[in-house]
Amino acid sequence: MSDLGSTAVLLSFFVTLYALAASAVAAKTGSAAFSRSAENAILSVSFLLLVAVGCLVHGLVTLDFSLRYVALNTSTDLPVVYRVTALWAGQSGSLLLWSFVLSLYMSFSVIRSPDRAAGTYVNAVLCFVALFFLFLVAYIEDPFEKLGLAVDEGRGLNPILQNAYMAIHPLTLYVGYVGVTVPFAFGMGALISGNLGSGWIRNSRKYALFSWTFLSVGLLLGARWAYLELGWGGYWAWDPVENAAFMPWLTATAFLHSVMIQERRRMLMRWNLVLLIVTFFLSIFGTFITRTGIVSSVHSFARSDIGQPFVGFMVFVLVFSFALLALRSGELRSERGFESALSRESAFLFNNLLFLGAAFAVFLGTIFPILSEAVTGKKILVGPPYFNAVGVPMGLVLILLMGVGPLVSWGKSSSANLARNFLFPAASGAVVLAALVASGMRDLIALVTFSICGFVASTVFVEYFRGIRVRTRRGENPVSALLNLISRNRRRYGGYVVHLGVVLLVVGITASSVFVTQREVVLEKGDSFFLGGYELVFTELRRFSNDAKDGVSAELSVARNGRSVGVMRPEKNVYKYEGNREINQETEVALRSTFRDDLYIILSQVGESGEVSVRALLNPMVNWIWAGGVVVVFGAFVTMWPGGEKRRRRRVG
Amino acid sequence: MRAKPGFTVALAVIASLVFWLVYSGVRDSMVYYVTVDELFEQVPEVYGEKVRVSGTVVGGSIRNDIGESLRFTMAAGRGSLDVEYGGVVPDIFTDGVEAVVEGKLSEDDVFMADLLLAKCPTKYESEDSLYERKKS
Repeated sequence: MSDLGSTAVLLSFFVTLYALAASAVAAKTGSAAFSRSAENAILSVSFLLLVAVGCLVHGLVTLDFSLRYVALNTSTDLPVVYRVTALWAGQSGSLLLWSFVLSLYMSFSVIRSPDRAAGTYVNAVLCFVALFFLFLVAYIEDPFEKLGLAVDEGRGLNPILQNAYMAIHPLTLYVGYVGVTVPFAFGMGALISGNLGSGWIRNSRKYALFSWTFLSVGLLLGARWAYLELGWGGYWAWDPVENAAFMPWLTATAFLHSVMIQERRRMLMRWNLVLLIVTFFLSIFGTFITRTGIVSSVHSFARSDIGQPFVGFMVFVLVFSFALLALRSGELRSERGFESALSRESAFLFNNLLFLGAAFAVFLGTIFPILSEAVTGKKILVGPPYFNAVGVPMGLVLILLMGVGPLVSWGKSSSANLARNFLFPAASGAVVLAALVASGMRDLIALVTFSICGFVASTVFVEYFRGIRVRTRRGENPVSALLNLISRNRRRYGGYVVHLGVVLLVVGITASSVFVTQREVVLEKGDSFFLGGYELVFTELRRFSNDAKDGVSAELSVARNGRSVGVMRPEKNVYKYEGNREINQETEVALRSTFRDDLYIILSQVGESGEVSVRALLNPMVNWIWAGGVVVVFGAFVTMWPGGEKRRRRRVG
Repeated sequence: MRAKPGFTVALAVIASLVFWLVYSGVRDSMVYYVTVDELFEQVPEVYGEKVRVSGTVVGGSIRNDIGESLRFTMAAGRGSLDVEYGGVVPDIFTDGVEAVVEGKLSEDDVFMADLLLAKCPTKYESEDSLYERKKS
């Protein structure tokens, strides 16, 4: 099987090389035959890589320890599902998966390609990117590499990776990371061919939105995993690997907004191309950071041989893309300028600048250790205080803009119009502020954030309310009015749902970072302590054993305001590894989650005479983050759902 | 782009605000990242300064008595550093791992850490670990 796999990888490399050449010939000569041949080659690459992935998964599931990758990432006691997910637990498997996902995108774009002539350039760019990753898989990081001497037990998967969220988090992130290659290729294809009409931007928007959705899901799953599994009580640490996924998300978000200006007003075309190039670069950079562990990070992936090719590839991408953009710059002039600083398009532009500024700030913070070492010879880093100091003000302005944007009109807003539009949302924000101050909240950042959130949420409701009222006046009943409103303009009303989800997220993030309380206590059996409105009594220490691990758990009975709400059992496990695995301890937190607050309990230590040391955190409103994430994704799917646009165009035209 | 003056001013304000945020953020939160031996080269200026230090956890040095702070020694090159830390201890923290601590060196040369990260040994993705077991 492994020979079949490595043959498939090698073949896919050469077939991609052929597809690149054939696309180039087709682009040069306009030959339909070569163009078709390149497309068929791309389809067959998907098939070859499917075979390769299948072979590696087969090796992982059947525990073929003659393969280095299998021996390093699985063991006989590993459940089958985690043997499959071990496909993306290590370096070479991840790169194979990257290539495979990219080939699927390529095939999809080939099948759906509306315009064959423009498609050849796009295909050539996609093939070039694929070629780089396939080169790594085929020649540098071979997932089918054999061990000189087969072993009879593998090293196993790190226990903190044995978690459902961690199992799918990398996969969703890859779908997002890889997906931004397609809009990038559309943009580059348009630049190379000189066919700079509106077709490419409409196509690339869909792929960008799709990738953005998966990046969002990946970020949230990663945060949820860190929260449940890393056991320090938080969900985001501004770790380089987290930042790596966050940066392309920021610039992709900027693109999804500014693309609307290009479609509506034929403006900002150069700017959009810059955003696409930067987003693609950041997604490659993110893969690079994650896979090479170049920036010191708690995720600590091994340093490897792929660093140099990656750097070379990234430099080439930047130089080539921006040179091309400069070359075509004259043809990309906007058809009109900005009429007013207070218009929808300028709100979008400010939003864009802030998103790009935020991505720049995160980028700088992430590579600061490398930069400072190169410049001063000393390694200096900036930690979470830097990211918070920079991120919070920018985030607040961005959220404010999220509310302002829909209230100002395209072109130019009249002041009467503005006053009418702002009245209700601004009043809502003020009511939220007054209510919170009256209830005793004094934290400035929280007060500002929550009032802005109130303002934004009410703009969304106002937009929906107006749309529905127009329809009900025409005699529709409110429910069908709502459904028709959304289905006639999915992009707009789906976008508002996303905004509402972001508001929930921001409320959850603010509450859980500003108002967290925690205690570290040593308890003997029968001891109790208070945290917020909760009373916790340490009732029992249990030791247990199964095939995989020896564990000890502390039972705490929990009461809220005098009423019992159940028993919580934080655990400490020691995995019984027969293999030589470095990581065998696992602290399993106990979590009681409600929309009011999360009670998060860590069993720090167990004493010889049965006393325990427990750290308990009360994190308010963390569930709002996950709920907000669900709403964001739902909104994104409403926006992406096919069909709405066509119907609308027919009605207009 | 035919931009109005008000518009250009707004753009300039945003751009300079971003730069100011980044600049002041870096200034207020930058931390030197050194190894244990490099840390001692900077005595006495380093006393009371926030700094991040990396080193290998010395085998057998970990004292983690219940209700007390975690104490351990980490080493790099010829230097060794006693560390005291009161927060959450990562699961992979054990003898021989590479630890990263952030905090301040007190004048009696004990490092008071408020952050502890542990990195898997560098052999994490190497074959050595597979064969070591075979030998034993």
